[in-house]
Amino acid sequence: MFRNFDIKSLMPIIVLIVLVVFFTAINPNFFSLRNFARIAIAASPFLMVAIGVTFIIVMGSIDLSMEGTVSLSAVIFCFAFLYFGGTLASGGWIALFAAMCFGMFYGALNGFIHAKLLIPSFMSSLAMGFVGIGATVLLTGGGIVRIDDDVFRMLLTYRVQGFPLMVYVAAFFLIAGLLIQKKTILGRNLYAIGGAEDLASASGVPVLKTRIMAFALAGFYYSLAGILQVAKLGQAESVTGANLMFLSITAAVVGGVALWGAIGGVFNALIGVLIVTVINNGMVVIGLPDYIQDGVLGALVIVAVILSTNRSTVKFVK
Amino acid sequence: MLEFQNVSKEFGPVKALANINFKVAKGEIVGLVGENGAGKSTLMKIIFGAYQADSGIILIDGRKTRFSSPRDAMSKGIGMVFQEQSLIGNLSIMENLFLGREREFQKCGLIDFKKMAEASRYQLAKVGLDIDPYMETARLSFSQRQLIELAKVLALEERSSGDLVILLDEPTSVLSEDEVTLLFELVNNLRERAAFIFVSHRLDEVIRLSDRIYVLKDGELVDEVAREKAVASHIQSKMVGREIDTEYYKQDDRLPFAPSPPLLSVQNASVRGRFEKISLDLHAGEVLCLVGTEGSGREAVLRAVFGMHKIDNGRIVYFGNEFLKIRSPNAAVENDVGYMPRERKIEGIFASMNVAENITSCQLPAYARYGLLNKAMELGLADEWIKRLSVKTPSARTDCNRLSGGNQQKVVLAKWRSTGSKIIMLDHPTRGLDIGAKEDVYSMIREMSSAGIGLLLIPDTFEEAIGLGHNIVVIKDGRTVERFDCLKQKVTPFDLVSAMT
Amino acid sequence: MSTFIKDFIEREKISRRNFLFASAAGISASALPGLFAPSSALAHGHGGYALAWSYRDRASAYWNAIVSGGEAYVESLGLDKSEMVNLINEASSEKSLADIKAFLAKNNGMGAIACDANDSPNARPVVEAVRDAGGFISTIWNKTDDLHPWDIGDSYVAHLSWSGEKPSEDAARLLIDKMGGEGGIVHIGGIPANIPAIERLDGLKNALNDNPNVELLDVQSADWDTTKAADVMASLLTRYGDEIKGVHCANDNMAYGVIEALKAEGITGMPITAFDGNPEAVDLVMGGDLLATVFTNPHWGGGIALALAHQAATGAFVPSEEPNEHREFYGPSILVTPDDAAEFKKTYLESTPTYDWTDRWGLSAGQIQYK
Repeated sequence: MFRNFDIKSLMPIIVLIVLVVFFTAINPNFFSLRNFARIAIAASPFLMVAIGVTFIIVMGSIDLSMEGTVSLSAVIFCFAFLYFGGTLASGGWIALFAAMCFGMFYGALNGFIHAKLLIPSFMSSLAMGFVGIGATVLLTGGGIVRIDDDVFRMLLTYRVQGFPLMVYVAAFFLIAGLLIQKKTILGRNLYAIGGAEDLASASGVPVLKTRIMAFALAGFYYSLAGILQVAKLGQAESVTGANLMFLSITAAVVGGVALWGAIGGVFNALIGVLIVTVINNGMVVIGLPDYIQDGVLGALVIVAVILSTNRSTVKFVK
Repeated sequence: MLEFQNVSKEFGPVKALANINFKVAKGEIVGLVGENGAGKSTLMKIIFGAYQADSGIILIDGRKTRFSSPRDAMSKGIGMVFQEQSLIGNLSIMENLFLGREREFQKCGLIDFKKMAEASRYQLAKVGLDIDPYMETARLSFSQRQLIELAKVLALEERSSGDLVILLDEPTSVLSEDEVTLLFELVNNLRERAAFIFVSHRLDEVIRLSDRIYVLKDGELVDEVAREKAVASHIQSKMVGREIDTEYYKQDDRLPFAPSPPLLSVQNASVRGRFEKISLDLHAGEVLCLVGTEGSGREAVLRAVFGMHKIDNGRIVYFGNEFLKIRSPNAAVENDVGYMPRERKIEGIFASMNVAENITSCQLPAYARYGLLNKAMELGLADEWIKRLSVKTPSARTDCNRLSGGNQQKVVLAKWRSTGSKIIMLDHPTRGLDIGAKEDVYSMIREMSSAGIGLLLIPDTFEEAIGLGHNIVVIKDGRTVERFDCLKQKVTPFDLVSAMT
Repeated sequence: MSTFIKDFIEREKISRRNFLFASAAGISASALPGLFAPSSALAHGHGGYALAWSYRDRASAYWNAIVSGGEAYVESLGLDKSEMVNLINEASSEKSLADIKAFLAKNNGMGAIACDANDSPNARPVVEAVRDAGGFISTIWNKTDDLHPWDIGDSYVAHLSWSGEKPSEDAARLLIDKMGGEGGIVHIGGIPANIPAIERLDGLKNALNDNPNVELLDVQSADWDTTKAADVMASLLTRYGDEIKGVHCANDNMAYGVIEALKAEGITGMPITAFDGNPEAVDLVMGGDLLATVFTNPHWGGGIALALAHQAATGAFVPSEEPNEHREFYGPSILVTPDDAAEFKKTYLESTPTYDWTDRWGLSAGQIQYK
C-alpha cells in the first residue's frame, strides 16, 4: 500500500491507532459501531475532497478551489434534482451525473487556467474557489436549497452492517482513487510531474494535458463531496463546502502526503482524514470543553505531521 | 600541519574508512583520488567537521584536536570549496563573502556596506579578482564564482588561529579548460598561505596540480605517490584494483557504420539567440559528437531536435520524412527520439520513483490496457533491462535515489533503449561518474551504435569525443566551425581546442 | 478565511451563510454613484434634509432587509426610494467616515443618516463628524460601550442594537416546557468568542436557573456551521446517548445540521430550538422538525434608524428631551413557534408589514444593558 516501506510511512497509521486507543480509554463509548458509523458519516464527504486535492499535491501543485467547487456542485446537484422532479425515481439521478460532469468541467477549467495560462495553481485555484462561491450565492440568492426525497436520503438513513449507504459510496470512490493512483497512466504521470517536471516533459509525459486532467479529476472528487454533503445534510448552500480547504489539506499532510509533491497518495489521504475526524469526534466524546478544542486540534495536527512526514527527504526531493 | 592517525569511521556495519593515516603540510598541495564510494567524501566530511571519526587521532600543528562541527572546523582554519557551489545567487558578492559575519560590519544595528565592500575587495584581491563586490553572484560566470568560493574560504585567514587547510572538492567539474588552468595557477600562487587538499575525478588534473597523491579504495589508503612518480595508469589500477587500458573508451572497438540515408538531418537550422545555421546529418549506427565550450549552443541543438526549442529558420528532417514535424518532447518520444539531459539529478531520473517506473516513464501507454497499467509487464521489462545493462539494484522496485550515479545513468539509458528509440541524444553522459561506471557507459554507447541507433553525443572530455565519435562537429558561438571524420583522420585534443577557440 | 468570517459574524449576528454574499462581488457596486448624483429634489419632501444609509454592502439577505426598511421610510414620506443615498463602505472604516463627511459637505450639513460604522472604534469619529457638520445620525450595531448619544448631543439621535439573550431565553423556556421540565439539554453554540454566541448561551442559562430538573449536559461550538453541527451532534450522541432530551442551538443553520444528525440515527421528535428566523427554519417549525426560532425584524430596524435621524432633524422630536431608553435601545425579536409559524410566514416572509414610523419606540425591546 505504500510507496516506500519504512517506519515513517507507517507513522500515520500508528498515530491513528494511538488516538483510537486514547479516546477509548477515556470513554469506552468511543469504540462502538454506532460511533464508528458517526465518524464515517462525518468523514465521507471530507474524504472525497482530500482524495481530490491529494492528486494535485502529489503533482507538486496545490488546489484551493475545493470550497467553491463543492458548494457549487452541491447546489447544481440540488437544482438539477429538483428540476427533474425532486425524487430519485422521477429522474433525479440525472442530477448525479450533472453534478459530476460539472465538477469535472470546473476542475478542468481550473487546471486550464493554471497550466495553459501559466498562473500559479495556488492563485488560480483560490480565485476559482471564490468564483465558485460567488456563483453559488448568485444561484441560490444566498438561500438554502433543500432536497426532501426519502429515496435519495437513504444514502444517510438506510444502513447496511451499521453504516449508512453514503459510507459505501465513499468507500467505492476511495478504491477507485487508489486504482487511478496506482494503475493508470494518469496516476503514474502525476508522480512523474511531482517528482521532476522537466524530466517528465523530457520523457514525453504530456505535462499540460496531465495537469488539466488532474484538476478535472480533483474537481470530479469535489463534486462527489458536494453530492455526499447533500446526502448528509439534505441541503446545499454557498457554505456547503466551508472549512474543507484547510481540513482537506491538513488531512493530506497529516496522512503523509508531502506538499512538495510525489510522496504519499490516496491511502495517506484516507488515514489523514480519519485522524482529523477521529480527533474532532473524540474531543467531544471525551468531553473536552469546546473553547480549547481548536487549540488541541491544531497541536495534535502539528504532532501528527512531525511524526508522520519524513522531513529529512525535503532536501533532495526538490 | 594537519595529520590523521588511524582514523576510522563506520556507518552501522559498513566500514567507510579504515585506519587512515594522512597528513598535509603547509605550502603543500595534496591530491586525493578514488572511485565513487571509496570514502573520499566521508574523509572530507570528517576533515570539515560534518562527521566525527569513530576512532583515531586528528592533529593540528602537532596538537590533538577534534572538529565538532563545520563551524568549529572553520574556526580552526579548515575551509572547504564546495563542489555544488554554495553561493546564494540573489545576494551580492560581498554579502556572500561575509554571510553569517555581518555583525562585524554592523553600526547602530545597520550594516555598513561601504566597510563590507572594502573588506570584500581585499579578499577578492587574494584570488586576483578585480570585480565590483556589489554585483549579484548570479550574474557571474562559473569560474568567477569558483574564485569567490575560494576567496570566501581564504577570508578565514583573518579569523582562524592557525594556518589554513583548504579542501577543494571537485573544483574543476564545471570549469572549462582555460578556467581550470587559471584556477591551478591561483592555487599554486596561494601555496604559501595554506595547505590544499584537492579532490577530483580527473586524474590528469590531480597529477598536474598535486605534490603528493593519496589513493583511496574501499575506505583504505592504498597508495601514496609523489608527483614525480605519478603515472596515470598506475594510479588508476590502484583505484580500481586492476590495470586499465588508458584508452578506456576503446577506440579500437569503434566500428564504421554502414552507409544509409540519414536518420536525422538538421539543415541550416537556427534558434534565435542560441545557434545559427547549423547543419548536420546523423546516420544509423553513427556516434556524432558535438564539441564546443559552455554556451556555444551545443545543448540547444539537442533540445531543438527534441522539440524543446522552436526552430526559427531552416529545418530538421527526421527519418527522411519531410512531413514529420516534432514540436514537443512528447512528439519526439512518440517518434522514437530519446534525450538524456545533462543534470541527471534534476532532469535524468525521478528520484522518488522506483527503477521500473523510471524505465517505463516515457512509454506508459504501451503498458496499459483499458487505461490500467499492467504492472507485471512493467516489472518484466525492467528486469530484462536490469539484466541487459547489468544495473546494480536490489530489485526493479528499488527507488532510484538509492542507486549510484552510474547505475542511475544506466536506468536512464534503459528507459530510452527499451522504447526502441532510433535516435538517442546524450548530454554529458559520463559527468560525475567514476571510472568503472564510465567504462560501462562507453560500452553501452558502443553497443547502441552497433545496434544501429543514431547517437548524438555531447562528450565530457575531448578524449571521449575522439574515442567514441565517428564524426565530430565543433560548434563555436552557435555556428559550426569545423568537422572531423574520426575514421579517416587521427584527431587530437589540440585540433579540437584550436577549432573551438 | 476564518478570521474574516469571525469578524463579520460578530457584526452580523445572523448567519454565517450571509457572509458569503460578499463573495458575489459587484452586486453592490451599482449603488455607489448615488453619492455624487445631482440632487435637485433634496430640498423638498425631506424637510430640507437629505437622507442616507451607510453600511457595508447590500449583498446579504440581512442587510437587504435593513436597507429596505430605510427605503420603506423614504417612501412613506412620499418620495421615491432612490432619494435615499446608499453610502457603501465595503468594510472600510475610512471609507465609511469619508463618505459621510462628503455627503454632509455636499448638503451643507443638512443630512439625516443611518449608519453601521463598520467597526466599533469608528463610531465615535463618525458621530463627531456629523455633529460638527450639523447633521443628524442614528447608528446600529457597531459602537464602543463608552460612546452614548446623550454625551454627543442632539446630532447623535439614537443607537439601536439587538440582544440575543432574552429571545434565546424565551426559546429555551419553550424547549424546557416541551421536555416536560426535566432531562438533559445540549447547547450547540456559535464561535465561542462571538458576542451573539455568548448572549444566546446566557439566555439558555437564565432559563435553566429556574428549572433545576433540567441539566445542561454539554456546550459545544459548531462555528455557526451546518456541517460541523451535524458532526458535533453525532459525537454528543456517542457521549450522552439517550440522556439528551432537547437541543438548544445558537442559530438556524446549526439546527439544520442537528436535525440531520438525528435523522441519520433514526431519532425523531427531539425538541430543538434555533435562532434567526430564516425562511427554511420557519418551514421546519411549521413541519414540526424544529420547535422554535427567533426573528429579529431587520426591516423595522433599518427603517426606524433612518426615521429617528430624520425626524430629529426636522424637529418632530428633540432627542435630548427623550429618556435614555429612547436613545439606546434593543430592536425587537419574535419567537416563532408551531402555533404562529404559519401566520408569521405570511406576515413577515411572504410580505412586508407596513409600519408607522412615527411610533418611534413601539417595537423597542428596552434600553441597552452593558455588562
